[in-house]
Amino acid sequence: MKKWLSVLVFLSLGLSAHAAQDSIELFGYFESQAMGADIKNEFLLLYSNKLRVDLKSSLSEKVTFAANFDYITFHGKTEWNILDFLPSDLIAEAPAGVESFFVLPFSDRHFLDNAYIKLSFKYFDLTVGKQQISLGTGYVWNPTDVFNIKELFDPAYEQPGHNALRLDVPLGSMYTLTTLFSPEDTWKNSAKLIQIKGRISHFDYSLTGIEKVWRFHDYTQFDFVNMNFLELPGKRKLLGASTAGELLGLGVWAEYAYNWMENSEDFYELVVGTDYTFNFQTYMMVEYYRNTLGKTDYEQYNLNDWMRMIALEQKAISRDQIYVFIQHPVADLLSVGISTIYSISDNSFALVPTLNYSLSDNVEVFAYLNINFGKEGKVFAKNMGNGGVIRARVYF
Amino acid sequence: MNKIIIPSLIIQKQLFQCHREERRRFSRLSLRAPWGRSNPLRKRLDCRVATLLAMTINCKRLPRPFRTRNDIVKIYIAFILVLFLVPALCGQELTGEDIVQKVNDLFNVESGYAKAKMTIMTTSGQKRTFVYESWSKNKGEKNLVRYLEPGRVKGQATLMLNNADDIWMYFPRTQRVRKLASHAKKQKMQGSDFSYEDMGSGDAFINDFSPKRLKDEKMEGYDCYKLELTRKPDTDVSYSRLIMWVIKESFVPVVIDYYDEDDPALQEKRLVESDIRVIDNIPTAMKVVMHNKNDNTQTELELLEVRYNITLADSMFTERGLKK
Repeated sequence: MKKWLSVLVFLSLGLSAHAAQDSIELFGYFESQAMGADIKNEFLLLYSNKLRVDLKSSLSEKVTFAANFDYITFHGKTEWNILDFLPSDLIAEAPAGVESFFVLPFSDRHFLDNAYIKLSFKYFDLTVGKQQISLGTGYVWNPTDVFNIKELFDPAYEQPGHNALRLDVPLGSMYTLTTLFSPEDTWKNSAKLIQIKGRISHFDYSLTGIEKVWRFHDYTQFDFVNMNFLELPGKRKLLGASTAGELLGLGVWAEYAYNWMENSEDFYELVVGTDYTFNFQTYMMVEYYRNTLGKTDYEQYNLNDWMRMIALEQKAISRDQIYVFIQHPVADLLSVGISTIYSISDNSFALVPTLNYSLSDNVEVFAYLNINFGKEGKVFAKNMGNGGVIRARVYF
Repeated sequence: MNKIIIPSLIIQKQLFQCHREERRRFSRLSLRAPWGRSNPLRKRLDCRVATLLAMTINCKRLPRPFRTRNDIVKIYIAFILVLFLVPALCGQELTGEDIVQKVNDLFNVESGYAKAKMTIMTTSGQKRTFVYESWSKNKGEKNLVRYLEPGRVKGQATLMLNNADDIWMYFPRTQRVRKLASHAKKQKMQGSDFSYEDMGSGDAFINDFSPKRLKDEKMEGYDCYKLELTRKPDTDVSYSRLIMWVIKESFVPVVIDYYDEDDPALQEKRLVESDIRVIDNIPTAMKVVMHNKNDNTQTELELLEVRYNITLADSMFTERGLKK
């Protein structure tokens, strides 16, 4: 750890000195966060500190290099047993003797999150390296995004980078053709994407085709060779479409994806959303999500459903959900809001009051509480842990 | 201006198309007017006639032959009408629509670049400062704004096309572009006292409000046209009306008062423009202050650099350009 810290300090100092000489931009943020949850009548706390250093350099008019390095430390309750959150009747499904593998460790880590070169020519942009891939128009859920799954309570948080080679070809001022290749061990297993994006009247449209191996796990079986739960990789082929625009003064968006699965049942996902800003500055958003991979009855949820959702392998375990968000700037530097995520399929919901305060030009405080209202076994069950997060972020 | 001045010139032409001889005859006939020289009304009229004659001489236009007393009466009536109408017409040489159009034209230059510093002053005396660059093309039909400072918003960009009917925002931290509906114009710019619609984006003053010209006033030391802009029915703007003082010389709106959407008597905000300089032949307010009367907060916008009529590629105003 000391070694890495030294490397980081050296890198920062070295780059700062270099930045002064050349057109290298050095920026980023430091984030300190406390997360708490009430589990079995005990309020557990996890603290984390994250330093993110971004580097961006325009090597020439056509070549840009960008990278960022993340260093995160964890303190407090750094080991969380997922079985503590699950309905008691499902715990029996866990394979015996491997209970320790249900413990989610939060250990210090450092990694190169993004590092890519972007070549910009008159007729195309080529981006090579580890980069963020953002797909779809949905705010909380993105059916066409097979690379990321957003946090339900914090959907605007940045997503990790993915190794990829991306080609964007503008077709006039209204259309863009994008192809993306995300390499895996073989060409067959690598992800491939093609997307055409355009604009008709006041609406943006996109049509997306993706092929990717989806790496599910079977949490009821343990693979003692790899010392992990049994992996069930299966090819997923997706054809999706999305749109965003304005209708009768309301912002509207929709996103749909049909998935053909190699080893399991085909399914589709759909998102429909709308938003509006009232004249008194209050902003409101509603988003509906359907995932036919999800169940319609909470008594059908099994251990795999829960684990896949917690491990962010699949987006939802209940079929229909609705997200409502209202935010209002109560003062010039303070915004408060409340969101609720309601699982229509199992009739449970969570309330998430939020607060956003600008402490100074480059310091902001963000906090939310999550309060679940559902009986055991439902998506937003009380035993999932009522709690919250407070986060202070300093930008430099 | 021509719309108002032309009728008065036509009246003068009809009255005074004659040569010098006829002018002499007119002066003789005028002595035989039905009222004596001692009549005070006559004195005032003569005075005005003299003024009018002076105007006609200047215009190289001379009176027509006058043969009867009726002719003279008609001419006096015409004089009276002209004498009273001309000053009134001169005062209203531009309609409210004309003035708003000129303000709109001033805002929507062919193309331009600006680097601006926005300072928010809160009720508690705290300050928040933002620096951004903006580019516009096709008389404001295309706009791109990109934040440079502080680090919290660095790289965030907004693209507005079709006079801000289409808006996209780019968030560099998530590398996500989000299409926003036009209601987003009501949102505060980075928590400031400016909303996007306050900036007069596109043709908002023309499309969303009906202008009415009020009595001219002096404001901030300038001779100004005073206008009342009332919200048109079926438009979705945050204000019931605006009162605007427009500098006569430059058509810069030096002060704009914004009134509550529900209560037209309740003033919400006041915008004051100052440090007006002529840049590339375009009068430009280098400093704009928006004062929020309700919250007692203030946001100051200072232009650090301005350039007009520059060459900007269309590719700047695309999603590709937004992400750069």
